[in-house]
Amino acid sequence: MTTTETPASLLPTKNAKHVPGQPDMWVFVLFESLVFTSYFCVYLYARTQHEGAFLRSQAHLLLWLGVLDTVVLLTSSWAMARCVQHARAGRFELAKRDAWLTAALGFVFLSLKIVEWVRLIHMGNTFTSNQFFQYYFFLTAVHFVHLLIGFVVVGVLILQLKDAKRRRQETVETCATYWHTVDFFWVLIFALLYVVR
Amino acid sequence: MKRPKLLDDPKRELWLAWYATICFYSLYAIVFFIVTRTQPPGKPWYDPTQVVAWFAGRHEGLLIGFALIFVLGGLSATSIALITYSIRRMSVSRAYSYSYLIIYAVSAVPGFLFICVAMTVGAMRPDRSPEIQRWLYDLGFLSFSGTMGVFLIGSLIWMTAILLDKNRVFPKWFAYLNLCNALTEVVVAPSWIFHTGAFAWNGVIAWWINVVVFGLYTGAFIYLLRCLILREDFGTGPLPDLASKRWHQIFPAEVGVS
Repeated sequence: MTTTETPASLLPTKNAKHVPGQPDMWVFVLFESLVFTSYFCVYLYARTQHEGAFLRSQAHLLLWLGVLDTVVLLTSSWAMARCVQHARAGRFELAKRDAWLTAALGFVFLSLKIVEWVRLIHMGNTFTSNQFFQYYFFLTAVHFVHLLIGFVVVGVLILQLKDAKRRRQETVETCATYWHTVDFFWVLIFALLYVVR
Repeated sequence: MKRPKLLDDPKRELWLAWYATICFYSLYAIVFFIVTRTQPPGKPWYDPTQVVAWFAGRHEGLLIGFALIFVLGGLSATSIALITYSIRRMSVSRAYSYSYLIIYAVSAVPGFLFICVAMTVGAMRPDRSPEIQRWLYDLGFLSFSGTMGVFLIGSLIWMTAILLDKNRVFPKWFAYLNLCNALTEVVVAPSWIFHTGAFAWNGVIAWWINVVVFGLYTGAFIYLLRCLILREDFGTGPLPDLASKRWHQIFPAEVGVS
């Protein structure tokens, strides 16, 4: 374990009233939350119009696979939170390890999602099969794209942690904010697609 | 006789481009939403007879409105030029501004001009075969709505340039807004597949939500381009701040950093 001396700029100010990371990233969080909320409203409205058909299609999803997806992604969020904590304490080697763990768990999630898509397509449930699967593939694919961007974000985070000259706690927290937001969207998607009956 | 102040203003060309941008977007909204009524888009499930009726109901509007676009649509170049200028003002490689310029110049053809040409051709000879009229109708709307993906890369280029920029030409939140806009451009892609529902070219997700996001994004960048012109010092380093309190709300993270 390597503990590097922490410059004062890297440490959070005690009792300082500010959001974690760049305040600008919270514009993204807010805006994307509104956009996703609008998608969810459209989905729920469609669901009320064809409740029986949606329930029959929903039965084709494996709830345990959705739970596994969620557990994997929430664990990645936990790893990211540990990464931020380690970076705050100046333990950059540990922070880097947790950032790699976050990316690895993200990769596991993406692999599970691809397995699930392939399974559904083999069963004849494609993007054009019916309304439920239109929304299912749309919401999971949009989330998938967000997660792909998340890998770029984690890449930036790892580069920052590697280079002592570039390290900024604000960037670490900004990257973490993005990752947690994407995880948060998944929890909502999981609840709406897999759980709500 | 006293020379008008504007003539001595070194920023006069920038202001000219900015006002031309305002004129372009106003013209765009008036022509597409009011004169031609091609936005919100027509129904993708219309049969040939309904399409002929659609053209008949807009005959004069399509001819007059798109004639205006063919005369004044070139004003769109000013907004692209101003955005390219803003990227050149950043502390990033010129490759960003050139890529942005080329992408937007090229994407204006399918994303903006194709619909005008297709709909004008349809309106010009209403006695043409209904099947051909429907072909023109599909071409117009699909080229307009379905080619949004081309603009996606432009938004990502602008976003990356802003995030890397050290001259603080634009606030970072606008970089993230570019990402939001790019992500909503992706969701228009299914309009090539569906004739009805939320993902069709007139659907709630593919059109309505996308248009709201694009409208907010356009309003934000027009406002920020204005701020850029006000702050421009024609140097190469960081742009100076505006004195107003509102500016400090736009740049919350950078206050006092310059």
